Amino acid sequence: MRKQFFSLFSVLILFALVLSACGAPAAPAAQPATDGGPVVDEGQAATVVEAGELVPPVVAEACEGEACFCQDKTVTVIVNTAGEKGPISGPFYEVRDEFQAATGATLEIVEVPFAEHFPKLLTDMTTGTGQYDTSIAGAWWLGDLVGGDYILPLDEYYNDTTGKYPAWDIEDVQQGPRNLLTYDNKLHMVGNDHDGQVMYYRSDLFADPAHQAAFKEQYGYDLKVPDTMQEFRDAAEYFNGKDLNGDGTPDNGLTMHLKVGGQGMFHFMSFAAPFVIGPDNPNLFWFDPATMEPLMGSPGHVRAMETLIDLVQFGPEAMMGWSLGESWDHFLRGQAALTFTWGDLGALAQQEGSQVKGKTGAAPMPGTTEYYDIAAGEWKQTESANKVGNTTGGSWAGVISKFSDAPDCTYYLLALMATPAKSEVYAYRGWDGVDPGRFSHYLEPNGTNTIDGYLAAGWDAADAEAYTNAYFANFGAEMQFPYLRIPGTFEYWTALDIHLSEAATGQRSASDALAATVEDFNAITDRLGRDLQREIYIKSLGLE
Amino acid sequence: MNAAEAPTLRKTDRTKLFFILPAVVWIVIFTLFPLLYALYTSFFSFRFGRLNQFVGGTNFVRLFTDDNLHNGLRVTLVFVVITVTLQMLLGFSLALLLNREMRGKNVLRALMVLPLFATPVAMGYLGITLFYEINGPINALLAALGWGAVPWLSNPFWATVAIMVIDVWQWTPFVFLVSLAALQGLPPDLFEAAEVDGASSWQSFRQLTLPLMTPILWLILLLRLVEAFKVFDIPTSLTLGGPGRATEVYSLFTYRTALRFFDHGYASAQGFLLLLIVSLIVALIFRQIRTVYQEEGN
Repeated sequence: MRKQFFSLFSVLILFALVLSACGAPAAPAAQPATDGGPVVDEGQAATVVEAGELVPPVVAEACEGEACFCQDKTVTVIVNTAGEKGPISGPFYEVRDEFQAATGATLEIVEVPFAEHFPKLLTDMTTGTGQYDTSIAGAWWLGDLVGGDYILPLDEYYNDTTGKYPAWDIEDVQQGPRNLLTYDNKLHMVGNDHDGQVMYYRSDLFADPAHQAAFKEQYGYDLKVPDTMQEFRDAAEYFNGKDLNGDGTPDNGLTMHLKVGGQGMFHFMSFAAPFVIGPDNPNLFWFDPATMEPLMGSPGHVRAMETLIDLVQFGPEAMMGWSLGESWDHFLRGQAALTFTWGDLGALAQQEGSQVKGKTGAAPMPGTTEYYDIAAGEWKQTESANKVGNTTGGSWAGVISKFSDAPDCTYYLLALMATPAKSEVYAYRGWDGVDPGRFSHYLEPNGTNTIDGYLAAGWDAADAEAYTNAYFANFGAEMQFPYLRIPGTFEYWTALDIHLSEAATGQRSASDALAATVEDFNAITDRLGRDLQREIYIKSLGLE
Repeated sequence: MNAAEAPTLRKTDRTKLFFILPAVVWIVIFTLFPLLYALYTSFFSFRFGRLNQFVGGTNFVRLFTDDNLHNGLRVTLVFVVITVTLQMLLGFSLALLLNREMRGKNVLRALMVLPLFATPVAMGYLGITLFYEINGPINALLAALGWGAVPWLSNPFWATVAIMVIDVWQWTPFVFLVSLAALQGLPPDLFEAAEVDGASSWQSFRQLTLPLMTPILWLILLLRLVEAFKVFDIPTSLTLGGPGRATEVYSLFTYRTALRFFDHGYASAQGFLLLLIVSLIVALIFRQIRTVYQEEGN
């Protein structure tokens, strides 16, 4: 008997070990997601939808002879790993032939994992190697890149009137994202991706008379697109546990991505903005500009985090370990009624494989009815919902290294991709990761685009209208969430990310998590130099 | 020594030097220089990825005051104790089990060591798939058995369990492989004599196998402890140290300090602390191995 037991035990162990050996090499690659199955692609992109065939038009003519001003030169771009049909990196593969034909240059695309991108770039720049001419950088990197004098101001190229470079119009970029392209009153990025979080909701569910009646009976008011955080909570609670996609299994009220390193801190930023920012407090969110004392422990921040943590119960428990791709997939499968995230999702919802095409509404982030005015030290009521626009996210855009051998060729490349004809197509598509934020992306009368373009790109008309209107309202909001762009920003945000995760998983209370965040922020500031940080912070907010 | 011999000796010395020169160059470039440079940088603060200013022993003082670092040490210590213990027990037990005549023994042995050849980071990513909470294979299996879903990656306790399971999975074959090789090298006449003397299996194991295997087991333990203290790939690919800092092992913390936050001075100081810890372990275990050999000699 004992012998049999040991034999069985050894076979079981053996089976497990063999399984691991056979399965290991296939794991990291992007996989087509099965229903409810895992999605592993560095957590950066959704995988339940197909990329489609829509491509931007060729706008640059092939050069000949001396007109090929970049002949024999190589432009090397470093970009987050995502592949030829992946977010942010994909458009570079599309434009390569056109760029090479127009300039005579060779374009090399270096893909590195998100986590390695900034370290590799900074190492290249601190050593003066100049391996990379351009990086498609996160807007929050500018504090380090400009502060370290590693990248070139681009005004000279942008203002060139000789026709040497493809034309793009910075005035076409809406004010919120436009502010991220400049630093210290100089242009440092070429417009590309425009990030900001809006609320997405299942328009079919909100329009369903049965749900409307049941909701009204339960909450005493009409089911409508949430205007306040309380209404958002009510809707999430109401839809949680109901079958939202007809597969016979209960679904969730909302979905978020709260894995450490999964960009959950951006959720907190977008969510917390209306608890702290208001008519009398347009700027104070991160630090006191007089002392660089962190403000994250204010009653407004604490209430925001408590409210966010309270919402966690209406999403899948697994989202504590999700990056954004997994959260997007959950919504795209029709398994959540609400979420708030970037522009990618609205466009991804239109692609083949999505179960929510024609069912995806979008609106600016809900507001609050009171916010904590930090300077006054008191809560202030608002007559209407206190809504705050945001540009949270990376707004991935090109910067040019000071050590580039071919800055003019590099600018040509970035400007080519910023031309209206290309940018428009990037905005239509979800897979390329380039999100809308220009007037030329918005429908009339907000912008200059028409529904025909979106329909031709495969959009549902109502979804397109809601989506573009939501982004127009978000980026154009009178009050904007103050974007942090000082040295060490990533370190500050990592601290927030980790402590948010601690609060969300019950390891700390919201106030303890924020107190720990304040402690970490102070340590970072002291190490980097409080006075210097303060000086840069004031400059980055335009408070000089 | 006469005058005629001297040049010959010097020539011999030169030949010796020539042969050891590559090793010396290797050690200087890849061991000594990085070590000394790390020591140098540990006395500086960094800004924008560059040396900023001399800060004396500040980075070393921070080792004693940084709660996040202490958390990393605690997480690593728990991880090391549990995983290495399990690997030693499982690996040695499996080696004993397969060190006997049985059908398909060679195939089983070969299959058993396969996980050892997988890249740890790939094992971590595989873990994401296996431990996926919504319809992942492990939770699906548990559901089929009538158990509830386990929050493998979203709960601090279970996330710690998950990285341990993957590590034990990967490294148990190492213990198995080395133990099996050592078992096969034991002199069979001793066991035959014991059998003739009427010793039971347990007595043979207790009185012969274990004492004879003790030196190699100490060596395996040493290798596993040193490796386990440096664990990085699996928690980084599987949980990124989360939820919160629940699985943020020491090496991951140091990686973040150096390559995410560019605080190279402090990261260097952390490296020296790890070196100190590992050196202490090595010294203690070597002393133990020496003792074992001396006892055997006596």
